Amino acid sequence: MAPTLPDLLRRPHMKREMEKRRMTKPRIAIFDFGCCEGCQLQIVNLEEELLDLVGLVDVVSWREAMTGHSDEYDIAFVEGSITREAEMERLKGIRQNAKVLVALGACAHIGGINCLKNFFEMDEVLKYVYGKEAKHFDTIPARPLSAVVPVDYAVPGCPIDRKEFLEVVKALLLGKKPPIPNYPVCVECKMKGNICVFEKGMTCLGPVTRAGCGAICPTYGNKCEGCRGLVDDPNLDSYKEVLQEHGLTVEQMLNSFRMFDGYMEVAK
Amino acid sequence: MPFKVIDKKDMASFVTSLMEEREVVGPVAKDGKFVFSPINDYSQLRLDYNITLLPPKKYFLPQEEPILKYKLGEAMRSEPVIEAEPRVIIGVHPCDINAIWLLDLAFSTDNLDTNYMEKRKKAVIIGLDCNEPCDEHSFCKSMGSLTVEGGYDLFLTDIGDAYVVDYGSPTGMELLARHKVAREATEADMARFRAVQDAKWPKFTYKLEMNVSELPNLLAISYDNPLWEELGEKCLACGSCTLVCPTCYCFDVVDRLALNLKEGERLRRWDSCQLPEFATVAGGENFRKARAERQRHRFFRKGKYLTEMFGKMGCVGCGRCVRSCLVHIDPVEVYNTLRRTCTPGGWAQREVAAYQQKS
Repeated sequence: MAPTLPDLLRRPHMKREMEKRRMTKPRIAIFDFGCCEGCQLQIVNLEEELLDLVGLVDVVSWREAMTGHSDEYDIAFVEGSITREAEMERLKGIRQNAKVLVALGACAHIGGINCLKNFFEMDEVLKYVYGKEAKHFDTIPARPLSAVVPVDYAVPGCPIDRKEFLEVVKALLLGKKPPIPNYPVCVECKMKGNICVFEKGMTCLGPVTRAGCGAICPTYGNKCEGCRGLVDDPNLDSYKEVLQEHGLTVEQMLNSFRMFDGYMEVAK
Repeated sequence: MPFKVIDKKDMASFVTSLMEEREVVGPVAKDGKFVFSPINDYSQLRLDYNITLLPPKKYFLPQEEPILKYKLGEAMRSEPVIEAEPRVIIGVHPCDINAIWLLDLAFSTDNLDTNYMEKRKKAVIIGLDCNEPCDEHSFCKSMGSLTVEGGYDLFLTDIGDAYVVDYGSPTGMELLARHKVAREATEADMARFRAVQDAKWPKFTYKLEMNVSELPNLLAISYDNPLWEELGEKCLACGSCTLVCPTCYCFDVVDRLALNLKEGERLRRWDSCQLPEFATVAGGENFRKARAERQRHRFFRKGKYLTEMFGKMGCVGCGRCVRSCLVHIDPVEVYNTLRRTCTPGGWAQREVAAYQQKS
C-alpha cells in the first residue's frame, strides 16, 4: 500500500527538512530610489518593535540602517520613484531577485511628489536643480515602480504608517493578503468624530483617497492631500462636482490631485 | 407616578454628584459643533446642543473593540473580552433614544450579543426632550421619533428655569432618589410643562409626503425604480451616511496577531454597506458591486428590512446622514421621490411608454 502523506512526513529525512524550513526565516531587503528615505526612517523609528521584527525575518540588505548586502532575498521593500534611466535596470534586477516586491510609500506606490516635475520640461528641471552642472546628469519623468515592473503589494502613504508596515509584514509572513483598505479616508475621519473638512470651508481629497492613515491630516486640522493614492473605484465625476460646488476651478482641482497623484490620468 | 422637577440651579450639583459615582458623558462643544464626550466639569455639558456629529451608539458599539484574545500553538487558547464601564449618558435626544431602542432589539434578538449588552446594562440614559428642531435637516416628526415611549432611565424636559423629570425605569427612579436634587412638581410647573409641549409640536414639520407606515410597502414596489441609478451616479461611496447613523450597526471582524505571531486579539469595528467590498465573500464574489445597489440596500434597511424584523423604524430622522453627505443624498427626498414616481404617471408608466415606442 502506498504510504500516506502523514507517513511520509514521519520519515527522518522529511522531518529534518520540515524542521529546516521552519527554521529558515524569510529574507528581507530594503531599497530606495528617488525619495527622501523618510519611509525607511519610519521603519527605523519602530525601535523596540523593530527588534521583534528582526526576530522574525533576516534583513539581508538595507543601506540606510546596516552594512553588508546580499542579492539573496525573498521580500523586497522598495522606496522611491523611478526618475533616471539607469534606475529602471536596477529595479528590474531587484524584481528578478525578489519573490515578493512591495512598494514602500507614496513615491514608489503612486509616483508621489516627484511627479510634480513631470509637468515641466526635463531640461528645464535639470537646469533648475543642477544649474550649469546639469550636463552631468540625466532625468526622466518620474514614475511609480508599477510603471516599470510588476508590483505585488504597496504600503501607501507619505510617509508610511509604521503600524501598517508591520501589519503588511505580518500578513506576508503568514501568506495572507496585506490588509490595505479599499475605502476612502472619510470612513476613518467619521469614526474619529471629526468635523468634515468641507464644512470648515476647505476642500479635501479624503472622499476619493485610500484610507489606512487613520485620517491623520483632517484629525489635526489639515485637509487630506491624497498621499495614499485613490481608492480602486473612485467616483471622480461626482467628486469633481463637489469640488466645483465648493468653488474650485478646474485648474485648482488638478493642482490638488497633482500634489501626490500627478502620475495618474486624473491629474493630467 | 407624579413628575419630579430639578431646578436648573441644582443641575450642577446633580451632575457633579453623578460624576463622583461613575463616568458621565454628554454633549460638549467641538469647533462650533457638538460631540458626546466624557465630562469632568459641569460647565462642559451643553444641554442646549442641537445634534452631535456621532450618535451615542459609540458607547455601546465602539468604533473598534476587542472581543477575543487568543494564543496560538499546540494548545490553542482563547477567551472572550468584554469591556464595559458603568456610565451615565446625559442629554440624549428622542431620536437617539429611539435609535438605541432599535439597537437593543438588534443585539438581543436571536443571539444575545454580550459585548453590546454588558455595556448597555451598565449605562444609565438620561434623555432630554427637543423643544426646537435641530436645523432644516431633521425629520424626526415624520419618522415618529420626536417622541419616546421608553428606552430611557430618566427624561428631562426644559421648562425654562427647571427640568421636568420623568422616570423610564426603576434604575432612574432609584438614581433620582439617591441624589436628592429633585422636588415634587407643582401645579405651576405642570402648566409650564404643558405649555412647552404644546408650543413645540407645531415647530416641527412633517416632511414625508406620506404616513411613515407606508414606507415598507412603498419600498417593496420600488426595487426597480430608476432613482437608485441616479443615486449611484452621485454617491461617492464614502460611507459617511452610515457611519454617522444612530441605527446602523454593521461591523467587521478582524484578527490582529501580535508581532511574535503567537498571540493576538480579535477586533470588531464599524463597517458600512456603502463601501465597495462590504458584500464581498470568500472567492471574491461581490453581491452589491454597484453604488446604486448599495444605496438601494441602505434605504431598504432603513425603511423596510429593519421595520419588518424589529417592528421599529430603521430610520429615526435625525438627519445626520444628509448633513454629512457631500452630494446631498437626502432620505426625505428619496422617499418622497419614490412616492411620487410609483403612482400612476410615475416611472412605471414611463417604462410602459418607452416599451410601446420601441415595439
